[in-house]
Amino acid sequence: MTRNLLALLLAASLAVPGMASAAPVKIGFINSITGPEAPIGENLTNGVTMAIEDLKKKGVEVQLMKEDDTGKPQISMSAMEKLAGQGVAGVVGPYTSACANAVSKLAEKYKVPLLVPAAAKEEITRQGLKYVYRLNAPADKYASSLIDAALVMGKPKTIAFIYENTDFGTSTVKTAKEYIAKKGIKMVADESYSKGSPDYRSTLSKIKGQNPDLVFMVSYVADAILLMRQSREIGLQPQAFLGGGAGFTTVQFAKETTISNNVFSTTQWTDDVSWPGAKDFFNRYKAKFGKEPTYHAACAYQAMLIMGETASKNGGDREKTKAGLKSGSWKGIMGDTKFEDYDGFTNQNKHQMLVLQIQDGQFETVFPTNFASKKPIFPFPKWK
Amino acid sequence: MLVFMQSLISGILIGGVYALIGIGLTIIFGVMRVINFAHGDILMIGMYMTYSLFTFFGIDPFVSIVITIPLMFMFGAFLQKVFINRMQGALPQNQILLTIGLGMIMSNTMMLAFTSDYKILSTDYSSSSIKLAGISISTPLAISFLITAAITAMLYWFLLKTDTGQAIRATAQDREAAQLMGINVKWMSILAFGMGSALAGTAGALISPTYYIFPQIGSTFTLKAFVITVLGGMGSIVGATIGGVIIGIAESVSAVYISSGWKDVVVFVLFLLVLLFKPAGLMGKSRM
Repeated sequence: MTRNLLALLLAASLAVPGMASAAPVKIGFINSITGPEAPIGENLTNGVTMAIEDLKKKGVEVQLMKEDDTGKPQISMSAMEKLAGQGVAGVVGPYTSACANAVSKLAEKYKVPLLVPAAAKEEITRQGLKYVYRLNAPADKYASSLIDAALVMGKPKTIAFIYENTDFGTSTVKTAKEYIAKKGIKMVADESYSKGSPDYRSTLSKIKGQNPDLVFMVSYVADAILLMRQSREIGLQPQAFLGGGAGFTTVQFAKETTISNNVFSTTQWTDDVSWPGAKDFFNRYKAKFGKEPTYHAACAYQAMLIMGETASKNGGDREKTKAGLKSGSWKGIMGDTKFEDYDGFTNQNKHQMLVLQIQDGQFETVFPTNFASKKPIFPFPKWK
Repeated sequence: MLVFMQSLISGILIGGVYALIGIGLTIIFGVMRVINFAHGDILMIGMYMTYSLFTFFGIDPFVSIVITIPLMFMFGAFLQKVFINRMQGALPQNQILLTIGLGMIMSNTMMLAFTSDYKILSTDYSSSSIKLAGISISTPLAISFLITAAITAMLYWFLLKTDTGQAIRATAQDREAAQLMGINVKWMSILAFGMGSALAGTAGALISPTYYIFPQIGSTFTLKAFVITVLGGMGSIVGATIGGVIIGIAESVSAVYISSGWKDVVVFVLFLLVLLFKPAGLMGKSRM
């Protein structure tokens, strides 16, 4: 009896706003801590660790329940089931698209608010799920932000696609094709390749024969370097190279200045953007972990801040947390955040993608203009 | 026409390196009748050797083959003496398992030593090219083709003109007869495996300036080496040379005229057609 009374008292104290600091709020975090995605997963974990510290400074106590999904959807799903049973107020994660997509349906089933920090697959927030929220911009924005940037800088009429024939490559290019059709740009080449071939020269010379205004590439690190090297050899000379994928945003790619300079790419976040606290986050992160944060770290940090604040304000109640996420708006290192329903998306933050250009081996934000650190170089200078 | 010539030349250049990989495999098979499934992994070791020599000592990849060749030869000879030799005359599936196992040990050791990150070797000529009548020829590929041609020529001379070379060929033709004639076939096997490994390692060294390096890269090249040697005729060096160039051209031309996603299909259809009409391969003598 006394125990019941105590529980009631505790619950009452949790329900009163402002008194949240009295007891920690339980929040789940599913991430790829081991497995092939672990190097990126590490960024998310670090971002979350910083968010928990910052929440503590604000007087919000979070009891973090970490789960490792090793990058596999089925493990991710059992992690979600476990967390739902342990009474978490909400869950942040998982990292990969495949995992986040699998977990999203479970979140709906168990009525646990899920905030996806960095998974790009569009479908995740396109299924009308009420408990699933996403902070980052979905995959279609990758292509459209790059093409928009090209349209602001010049008048490209033709575009050539060259991409990896994986889910990642084909889905990004699919949205790009739909977008160029709307903008009246003609596709002159559509080349998918299987990754790891040593020679793309013949494909590139075929593209060169079409003389496209834009060349849009989607690939991972190693192929990105190879493709640009061979483009230089062949003398492929479009107005702009658009790198629509992971490989073009890495430091390793930027270091290869002879081939990477003036290539455009897109990202969710950089440290030189004028969003409040971005630079500060970068410095603190670097000091704490000895590495530069990627956009994943920033996404995870902001997602955990939002989830922590909302959940504690609502006393760890799932329904109220869900409502709080829906009605709230935030301003932070990811810019303005608000979860909205639009264009078939549900609870999707209209995140502004940043267009970058490599200038002298450094990533510089060139679009949108109000966040730009440098002016874009356009058209692409002649190969030396 | 220009596009065709461009793809043809790229194909021939890359085919030269393929030929080198194929020749290595075919020598090993010819002399020992052992199918070396670790061939791609040996090539991978050669790549890492070149990478290390370049990053730690600043030795140019093309110069470093002077070091890579003897080291890889000794590595191959060691493998033969310690492991493969014990399986001489054993069931083919046992030999295959042994070489697959050796390959796995090699790739996993490299993963421990270098992590599974992609390594890129950047020299100042990595992305330069020579223009010739509108066709651009990749400088590093052109250099590696010339080196390949020189090595192949030297190999022919060695096998045709020297006593040791003739002894190797004799062993390949008939192991027992060669032994009866007083040839030390055990020594010839060590020599052959050493040469095969050195060739694979050299091929690895030659493509590392234009390609990337990671521990699991071997399987891609093992498969390619098989297609090349079977296409050319198992055990035939001329066949492997021709096979390598044919595969290089087929990949390159089909990437232009069909699609780069389909080029493997074209290569394997071609492969099947050759096997259908000439089961022993282009230069192979049917042993049936």
